[in-house]
Amino acid sequence: MHSSTLRTAPVHLTRALQHPSFTTAHSLRPCVVAKWLQSRRLTTASPRTQEVIPLRKHLKDEAKRKKAEVKRDGDVTSKKQTLDPRLDKWELTVGIEIHAELNTACKLFSSAPAEVSVGDDGGSANSRVADFDAALPGTQPQFQIATLLPALRAAIALECEVQRKSGWDRKHYFHWDQPNGYQITQYYQPFAKDGSLTLGAFDGVPAEDLNGAESITIGIKQIQMEQDTAKTMNVGSSTYHVDLNRAGMPLIEVITLPHIHSPQTAAAVVRKIQAVLKGVDACVTGMELGGLRADVNVSVRQRGTSGIGSSYSGVGGLGQRTEIKNLSSFKAVEDAIVAERDRQITVLEAGGVIEGETRGWTLGATETTRLRGKEGEVDYRYMPDADLPPLVIGSDLVQHLKTTMPMLPDAVERDLEEWHGLSRKDAKTLNEQDNGDRVEFFERTASFLLAEVGTFKSEVATTKERRKTGKLVGNWVLHELGGLLATHQRSWDDVRVTADELKDVLVCLHKNEITARAAKQILAELFQRQPAPDGPYWPSMDTRPSVEQLVDAGNLRLRPLSEDEYEKLAMQIMDANPDMVKAVREKGQKGKVMWFVGQMVRQGEEGTVEPEKAKVVIERLMGG
Amino acid sequence: MFRMQCFHVLARSSTKSHRWFSSRPIDAEALLSKRTWSVRSLLPSTDTTPDSPQVSSEQLHHLLRLSALPPPKDPSEEARMLRTLSSQLHFVREIQAVDTTGVSPLRTLRDETTEGEQRNEIGLAELKDALCGEDAVGKHHKRVRRRRDQDGQKTAAETWHVLGSAEKLIGKYFVVEGGK
Repeated sequence: MHSSTLRTAPVHLTRALQHPSFTTAHSLRPCVVAKWLQSRRLTTASPRTQEVIPLRKHLKDEAKRKKAEVKRDGDVTSKKQTLDPRLDKWELTVGIEIHAELNTACKLFSSAPAEVSVGDDGGSANSRVADFDAALPGTQPQFQIATLLPALRAAIALECEVQRKSGWDRKHYFHWDQPNGYQITQYYQPFAKDGSLTLGAFDGVPAEDLNGAESITIGIKQIQMEQDTAKTMNVGSSTYHVDLNRAGMPLIEVITLPHIHSPQTAAAVVRKIQAVLKGVDACVTGMELGGLRADVNVSVRQRGTSGIGSSYSGVGGLGQRTEIKNLSSFKAVEDAIVAERDRQITVLEAGGVIEGETRGWTLGATETTRLRGKEGEVDYRYMPDADLPPLVIGSDLVQHLKTTMPMLPDAVERDLEEWHGLSRKDAKTLNEQDNGDRVEFFERTASFLLAEVGTFKSEVATTKERRKTGKLVGNWVLHELGGLLATHQRSWDDVRVTADELKDVLVCLHKNEITARAAKQILAELFQRQPAPDGPYWPSMDTRPSVEQLVDAGNLRLRPLSEDEYEKLAMQIMDANPDMVKAVREKGQKGKVMWFVGQMVRQGEEGTVEPEKAKVVIERLMGG
Repeated sequence: MFRMQCFHVLARSSTKSHRWFSSRPIDAEALLSKRTWSVRSLLPSTDTTPDSPQVSSEQLHHLLRLSALPPPKDPSEEARMLRTLSSQLHFVREIQAVDTTGVSPLRTLRDETTEGEQRNEIGLAELKDALCGEDAVGKHHKRVRRRRDQDGQKTAAETWHVLGSAEKLIGKYFVVEGGK
């Protein structure tokens, strides 16, 4: 898997390799007990480490797949016809419940640490457990107020109204991952209500859902804080190992209204919520690491009718809904919804009736499986927790957090697009890298570059220059540096190239002192070298050379060729490859001109051939 | 209940004058010798058959399963459980008959005054420490990030022997036999 040559390793693989694989996941065998386990709680075992699929790759794969399908099937309508009539008649409605781990130092109701501290035994099982987490008789919960910080930020980021007073309630059920016999949650009075989330085409919402508008708004019913359960792992036929480290960890549950009408939008909503929560430092572990889990509620109804008249939180006229639990990746969300929608339509068209049941989904399955029917519905006997006083949140705190909120991902991307001239797709990809550190680097380099090469003649000119330099820096930070990081399998912490150095390279490029190829070479050189040691104490043996020094050392300064020299080189290559010349001249394959340009650049001396001029010369010679 | 009414009357009149006290002495013995109310009134009378809906055997088993209690060993024990449950439900119905319009349910005994709520309020001052535990990251692209690994010392939570009272252990895990 590791490539020792400089051939670029597949991006998705290297990204997956960069993520540390967490505690080994023991997979649950699909036996009756395992299914019962799944039906009781959200997740107990940690998920299998999954491949991270970034949004850009996901969109590209979707486009490729659609193209391949068209090519293969030839007639596009034949594949669509099996789906289209049914979807013309039936409308899907989805509501999502997301459980996300809060980024805190302590657990929710005890002072046990929430994370493994460095150089400590905290990584082993049952090492971060307070007596309340283990439910020792007589222990009491103590609300840790620091957990409010990320929770409030999440609520504000999702535009919810923070309630001054909210309560804690007990949700009773027996399971070995719930030591107390109940989970403390906020059933009757959640701490935040009535929020919203806006998504556009660039978030992955399909055109049918947008209906001509630029964006859609998904309502968020409420956000509540609750405890997480312990981790259980199945070893052997019916033996389970229980680790209480996770018991009592703070979670927020984000419940959306049933405003979602397609599987792609549902996956986009989950993606967006994860990005928003990460952007405000509220929930920093993503879905692929088990820090975020989604349950979806799916129902269908005939278009124009009001289903069976069932309603949820003010949205009426819906069909009977079923719940799919334990979805642990974006793809799983989409696939499970598609499978469940198709199943429900099939049942209803055959004259059957949908039962309100709980279903499960496994990766690679074609249909959801039934976990629990109506008769197995659990009676949670919700009651207010008598050990805890109500949660009273001061308005000064909420106000302070509102004014000091970091920029949300939408605003960051819009800024990159409008102010710096990046494409929306590039802006989105840039913002997803390295917790925002890549955007910081980009903005630094862009501002340095503009300061040096900008002419600032007029406001209009400045805007144009800023967008041009922005686009240039964007390409280099995203694609060139990104490519180097992937090839050499290093993380952003070890990028070694500073913003100043990149600025110097791009200044040389902008002034046409070096070709793009030479610039890439210099960047690669800087990327490989050891970083300059800090402090003046060590006499630097291998000092980091400046960009100017590298240009001179590698003899990379552009020595432009004359027109005759270009022609001579072009004729040389054309004579050596008569077949290619024939292809361009007679068969009209204009694309092959670039091949000639490439050959000229390669065969010419380093730092002499400019591809743009070479192309002009070759086209002129070919045209005759 | 009767006693509470007494004290209420006393408290009210003591603010006006001590006229009530001086008029006649209270004979506590006489007052308390007559029973005016008994909790037995809230239980079903043993001779009459209850006309309220009965708890079925199925419901009983469902409730026992929810509470993780063992099912009855034989029909006589089940009949006993059903009888007890029935009289308990009669009691609950008597309680529910009390008019509670406008009264919000009691959750726990605590200070419900406005001062109490103010003391309980979590505001900026209370979260000052948590806010200090964060860094403002980035000059151009400003973000917040919680600082990790702040407290190196073990808190009290970590120093007790978590696995000490477990009957069965495998390595550092609690063990559960899940077979049905």
